[in-house]
Amino acid sequence: MRVPLHYHLRNAITRWRSTVATVAGIGLVVFVYVAMQSMAAGIAKVGANTGDPSNLLVTRRGATSESTSQITLEQFRILRHAPEIARDPGGEPLISADLALVINIPRITGEGNANAVVRGVSPRGRELRPQVALVAGRWFEPGRREVIASQRMARRFADLGIGQSFQAGGQRLTVTGHFEGARSAFDSEIWMDADEARALFDRSNYSSLLLRPADAAAAAAFADRLDRDKRLKLRAIPETEYYSKQTGSAETFKKLGAFLAAIMSVGATFAAMNTLYAAVAARTREVGTLRVLGFRRRAILTGFMIEGILLAVAGGILGCAAAGLVGTALAGAGFSFGTFSPETFSESVFELRVTTPLVLQGLLFSALVGAAGSLLPALRASRLPVIAALRSL
Amino acid sequence: MTFHGFILRNALRNRRRMLLTLLSVAVSMFLLVTLLVALRELTSPPVGVGASLRIAVPSKVSLATSLPARQRPVLERMPGVRAVTPLTWFGGRLNGEESFNLPQFGIDPTRFREVFAEAILSDTEQQAWMSSRTACIVGRDIAARHGISVGDRINLQGDIYPVDLELTVAAIYGIDGAAAADSIFFHHTYFDEAMGNPGTVGMWWVLAESAEAVPGLIDRINAAFANTSAEVRAETERAFQLGFLSMLANLKLLIGSICAVVVFTLALVTGSTMSMAIRERFRELSVLKALGYRRREIYACILAESFGLSLSGGFLGAAAAALLYSSQVVTKATRGLFPVFEVTPRIVGTALFVAAALGIAASLLPARAIARLSVVEGLRSLD
Repeated sequence: MRVPLHYHLRNAITRWRSTVATVAGIGLVVFVYVAMQSMAAGIAKVGANTGDPSNLLVTRRGATSESTSQITLEQFRILRHAPEIARDPGGEPLISADLALVINIPRITGEGNANAVVRGVSPRGRELRPQVALVAGRWFEPGRREVIASQRMARRFADLGIGQSFQAGGQRLTVTGHFEGARSAFDSEIWMDADEARALFDRSNYSSLLLRPADAAAAAAFADRLDRDKRLKLRAIPETEYYSKQTGSAETFKKLGAFLAAIMSVGATFAAMNTLYAAVAARTREVGTLRVLGFRRRAILTGFMIEGILLAVAGGILGCAAAGLVGTALAGAGFSFGTFSPETFSESVFELRVTTPLVLQGLLFSALVGAAGSLLPALRASRLPVIAALRSL
Repeated sequence: MTFHGFILRNALRNRRRMLLTLLSVAVSMFLLVTLLVALRELTSPPVGVGASLRIAVPSKVSLATSLPARQRPVLERMPGVRAVTPLTWFGGRLNGEESFNLPQFGIDPTRFREVFAEAILSDTEQQAWMSSRTACIVGRDIAARHGISVGDRINLQGDIYPVDLELTVAAIYGIDGAAAADSIFFHHTYFDEAMGNPGTVGMWWVLAESAEAVPGLIDRINAAFANTSAEVRAETERAFQLGFLSMLANLKLLIGSICAVVVFTLALVTGSTMSMAIRERFRELSVLKALGYRRREIYACILAESFGLSLSGGFLGAAAAALLYSSQVVTKATRGLFPVFEVTPRIVGTALFVAAALGIAASLLPARAIARLSVVEGLRSLD
């Protein structure tokens, strides 16, 4: 089947005003969709980025996150010298009891307060989380009311600049340094000494244990032992697995994106139909000519549909490109989005991530809008009676 | 034919295009109204009955930090206080199922009706709740959603706390007003027992004797626990809810930006439709010009058409949204995340204003084309 593709392409260029409006309209729909989904992807990426696969995280059985988990000193004492845990050259086991809690501090914008995670971490816990690296200032000193904050948090919350201090747990905490968490969940945290945090916030228990098993077999054995232990009621899972599940807030963006795309695509389809109907109406005589030249009804139908789909996909490409540009520009400017994470009950920061599957989805989506918008006008064009079409002005 | 008739006939000459444009504008306006309603609900939570008398007293550290039960007598003794109840968020799974936005609270049942006056619970129902330690009351909306009726036994598996609660449904309560009755309330003492009496509560709710007493009382409560190991942040219920919403962070900014994108898309669609409509008519417009109609009059004709089209689209979209959301469909679909979702007159006004502005903007491009139009060329053009 021969299709007069060249003809359709030239036409789209000739009628550039309506072409631009259609392409831009569909482009905006795709932009909104891809941007929303890339937020969800960004949140998922943070989850996937966090932790070391060889570490095990121990929490209370049934707790959905570290902040709702409790590890008693007794439990820590029992597990501390477990034979499965690797040891450092000095013979000390690689295990750390840490505290994760939520504090409410003012935003930098002055628009009220938000929750932030404070992690009380032992020196061993720092070693087990090598993703966190100091980029400015110095580490906190155990025994002093000092914290270090992630650089991203410092951009979102007031009083987190180096040398500044804020009120928490009845005391003022001074920020001595900023860290980068390699785009992990630690980027949403403020760190201080574990025992200092326990004293300050009046917690007798820890929240979680992070440990490095000797090898994979030891890890499995340890997790299995905890599962069967009725007395301890604890659970050990790989640290990476724990964080990859802390992505409930991604759902909001996924759903919002799908909802917006669904409604906006209806409007965009109508607009595309308008453009193509106008194109068909204006080209009635040309369609007649094409038919006389020997192009079949089907070729006319296919041609107009391809024209519509091409317009829409051009919009899709623009939309994806715009989302990618925005994502890159924001990341380049050091801006990170923040949203409420239901697991940690606090704000977590993330970046837009326009991934290849998302781009493909966006393009497919735009092609569908194009197909839906061009079907009826194309049918109309293919059914024009030849003689009448030739006669029309 | 009158001038008005002429405009109307022009608008209707390509019915399909008019209909498609109208629908396209209506759908976008529907979306705009939806987003504005969501934005309103995210920025200004509904005010319940007696809300102005209620004071929320969570820990100053954060809502996730518990408070000592020994604070209660101190609060109760304060002048201006009518009633005090603990409220502890349990956050369990109902019968082991993962469910979103299903609040469960431990509370003092003897203070429940006094502090939460908007709850509808009869005396007999209240007595049934009080009669057993393991009795609970269930909000009408979640009772309907989960098929719970009076007498049922329900199980709450603790996620935050390491205990499970076995409860018997004593009554189904309703809420006076638009807010959803979507919580489960149980005896705080039962929860304390299950936990081994740790002597802590999630937060306090204090009912003031009068609205005038509220500001002073807030200061007194904050001062009473300042520099203790459990400092509190007393605030009005409204401030408390706003604080909750402030945690949504950039969501507001996001919805605002999407609104802007929607409006821009709309402008593109209506603008291009009007250009299409006018380009078809170059010849007629030239005739009008030749007949002596002035540019201003011809522009008025285009403006009226574009204005009418986008305003009717806006009206259609806003009306559809108002109609759809009056049935609380969003409240049910989001399982209570948006308890009211009401299309207010102000939002309708905003949408219509945007539609009117769009109508004017869409007529500007074609208007320029007409201003440039030379009569001779227009008469000669075929298309």
